[in-house]
Amino acid sequence: MGRLRRALASDHVAGWAFIGPAVLLIGVFGILPIVWGLVLSFQKSDLIDPNTPFVGLTNYRALAHDHVLRIAAGHTLVYTGVFVPVSVIGALFVAVALNRKIHLIRFYRTAVFVPVVASTIATSIMFLWLFDAQYGLANWLLGKIGVGPFGFFDSPRGALYAIIAMTVWGWVGFDVIIYLAALQGIPHELVEAAEIDGASRWSIFRSITVPLLGPATLLLVVWSSINALQLFDEVYFVTHGGPPPYNTAVVVWWLFSLAFRLGAAGYAAAIAYVLFLAILVLTMVQFWVGNKVVHYSS
Amino acid sequence: MKRTWFPAVMVVAFVAAACTGGGDGGESPGGNGTTGVEHIILWQGYGAPTQPGETPNREADSMRALVEEFNTTHPNISVEIINYNNDNALAKLTVALQAGEPPDVTYQYGSSMPQLAAAPGIVDLTSRVEASGFDWNDFYPGEREAATVDGRVLGIPALVDNLAIVYNKDLFDKAGLSYPTPDWTWDDFRTAAKALTDPATKTFGFAFPADASEDSVWHYDAMLWEAGGDILNADNTAAAFDSPAGVTALQALADMAVTDKSVYMDFQNTKIAGLFNSNKIGMAVTGPWDLPSFPNVNYGVQIMPMFPGGDHQTIAGPDNWVLFDNGAARLDAAWTFVSWLTAPEQVLTDSLVTGHLPIRQSVTQLPTFDRFATKFPGVDVFVANLANVQKARPVLKAYPRISEAMGQAIIAAMTGEKSPQQALADAAQQVNDILAIPA
Repeated sequence: MGRLRRALASDHVAGWAFIGPAVLLIGVFGILPIVWGLVLSFQKSDLIDPNTPFVGLTNYRALAHDHVLRIAAGHTLVYTGVFVPVSVIGALFVAVALNRKIHLIRFYRTAVFVPVVASTIATSIMFLWLFDAQYGLANWLLGKIGVGPFGFFDSPRGALYAIIAMTVWGWVGFDVIIYLAALQGIPHELVEAAEIDGASRWSIFRSITVPLLGPATLLLVVWSSINALQLFDEVYFVTHGGPPPYNTAVVVWWLFSLAFRLGAAGYAAAIAYVLFLAILVLTMVQFWVGNKVVHYSS
Repeated sequence: MKRTWFPAVMVVAFVAAACTGGGDGGESPGGNGTTGVEHIILWQGYGAPTQPGETPNREADSMRALVEEFNTTHPNISVEIINYNNDNALAKLTVALQAGEPPDVTYQYGSSMPQLAAAPGIVDLTSRVEASGFDWNDFYPGEREAATVDGRVLGIPALVDNLAIVYNKDLFDKAGLSYPTPDWTWDDFRTAAKALTDPATKTFGFAFPADASEDSVWHYDAMLWEAGGDILNADNTAAAFDSPAGVTALQALADMAVTDKSVYMDFQNTKIAGLFNSNKIGMAVTGPWDLPSFPNVNYGVQIMPMFPGGDHQTIAGPDNWVLFDNGAARLDAAWTFVSWLTAPEQVLTDSLVTGHLPIRQSVTQLPTFDRFATKFPGVDVFVANLANVQKARPVLKAYPRISEAMGQAIIAAMTGEKSPQQALADAAQQVNDILAIPA
C-alpha cells in the first residue's frame, strides 16, 4: 500500500493525469487514423466490402499511371504557389493599413476578419452566384467598367484562379490578425529612432517592419502552405473538380473522389500518404530556409 | 496526498466514460425492452422539412408526415428520421459501416447497389418480398431489376423516375415556335433550341448538367440507346459507347453546345431548376421531381425526341430503401415500416404531395389517382414514359469508374475540347483498362 501511495504522489502520475485526456483524444482522432490509413494503403478496399486483401505496393505503383493525379498535383502546386504569396503579402499590407489609430478601426478589423469565421460552404454559395458567368454581380460590375465578361468557375483556364481569389478573400483575415499582433510587438523606439534619423516611411517599412515581422511571416508561410496543399472544401463544393476535364482537380479532392465515390479507398490512402510526406518535406525545408533568413529580435 | 489523488480519479473517470460512451452507441436508444417500443433509424436524403418562410421542400415534408403517421398508427415502433443529401448517401453509409453502426433503413441510389451487395449486415430481402401479401411483381420491372444483385433482392424501390422534355410554353410562343410533338427528332430539338436562344436576354434553348457526374452521363445514356448504342458490350467486358451510335448521340449534344451555343452548361449542376423557373431556359431534359420547382413557368412535358430511324427511349433511375441488420427485433420493425411505406396507399399519398411517379403499378388503379395528373400538369407523360424504359445501366461494381470516364468525355465534347469521336475513344480506352482489372 505504501508503494502505491508513493507512486500516486509522484509528479509522473500527476503529469500523465493532466495530459491524459489530450493524449486520449489525439490518440483516437489523430494517431489511430494515421496508422489505419497506412495499413489501408497496402490493401484493396472500397470501405464497404469487409474483405480487404493485402496487395503489397500495388497502390503505390499505381500512382505513376494516374493521369488525373498528375493533373491534380499540377493544380495543387499552382494553387499553393499563387495562394501563399498573395495571401501573405496581401495580409501584410492590410495589417499595416489597419495598424493605426483611425476612426472606426475596430469595425474595419472586424470586417477583415469576418470571412474567416463564416463557413466555407456559406461563402462558396455566395461566390457561386457572385461569379456566375451569365447572371453574376461580378460580371455586371466589371461590365460597367468595360471589362469581361469572365467565365470564372465555368472557365477551363480561369476556374482555378477564381478559387484562388475566393480562398484568399476567405483566409486573408487570419493572416492579418497574426500580422497585427506582431506589429504591436515592434518596439516603438526603433521606429522613432529611424524617424529622427530622417528615414522615409517606405524605408522604415522595408528595413524595420518587414524584418521584425520575420517570425510571423515564417509561421504564416508554413501554415498557409500546409493548408493550400490540402485544399478541398471549395473545390468539392463549388467546382466539383471541374469544369471538366478536371480543370480544378486538386490532390485531396481526387483522393476523396477515389475513396468515397469510385470505390478505391486503398489507393486513395496511398495518395494521402505520399501527400503527407510531401508536406512534411516542404515544411522542413521551409523551416530550414526560414531559420537562416528570419531575424528573431530576442 | 490530495494533490495527486484528484487528477488520478479524473483520468480513471474520463477513460471509463470514454469506454462506455463508445459502447452505448451500438445499442438502440429506445429498444431497451422495458417500454416495448422498437426504435429504428431512417436515413432519408430529401433534406430537412420546410421551415417557415422557406421554399417548400415537399419531398422532405411528405416523408416526415408519413413517418409521423406510421409512428402514430404503430405504437410499438418509433422511427427516427436522419436527413442528408442523397448525393452523399453512399459516402455517409460507408463511414457508418466503418463505425459498425449502419442505419436500419437507408435511401440509396440504384447505381450503388453492386457495391452495397458486399456490405456487412445488408439484409437479403428475397424471401420477404416473395411472401404473399407483399406483391413484389406490382413494382415496375426496371425497379425490381435495380433492386436485385446476383439474384438477391437487396432493396425495396423508393423512387422511380425518367427523363423527358419539360418546355416553357411562353418562350415557345414568344419565338413563334410550335410545341414539341411526340414524333420530334433531335434535329427538331436542335432547331428549336437555337431559335429559343437569345444572348441579349441571356435565354438559352436547352440546359445541361455539365459537372461530368452521373447526372451528365444518364442524360447521354438515353440518347445513346435511342441512337441504337449501348454502354458496354453484352457480357460487360468492354466499352461499347464509342460506336457510331455513341458518336451520333454525342454529336447531337456538341452541335447544340459548341456550334449553336444554345445550351446553358451548368458546370456546377446547381442552377438549372432555378433558371428554368425564371423563364431563362426553353427546354430542360429532366424528371418529374423537378416539376414542383417550376411554379412560375407555364410548362409542358413531352417525351424525348428520337434519331432518324430510331425509337423513343428514356432512362429510369430507380432508387431503393436498403435495410441493415441491427438485431432481429429492429429488423422486423424496419421491415414493417418499409413494407407499410411502399404499400399502394402510402405511395399515392406521397405522390399527391411530391409529384413522384407511383412506384407500384396498382397505384394507377386507385380511385383517387386521377387527382395526380390534375395536381401536377404533365406528370401523366412521365407515367406513360415508363413504358419507354427499355434498357438499364450495367449493374457492376466498376460502374462508378465507367461513369467517371464517360462523364469527362461527354463534357469534353460539349465544350469543344475534343471531338465527340476522340472523346469517346479516349473514354473507351480508360473503361477497357478498368474492366480488365480482375475485380
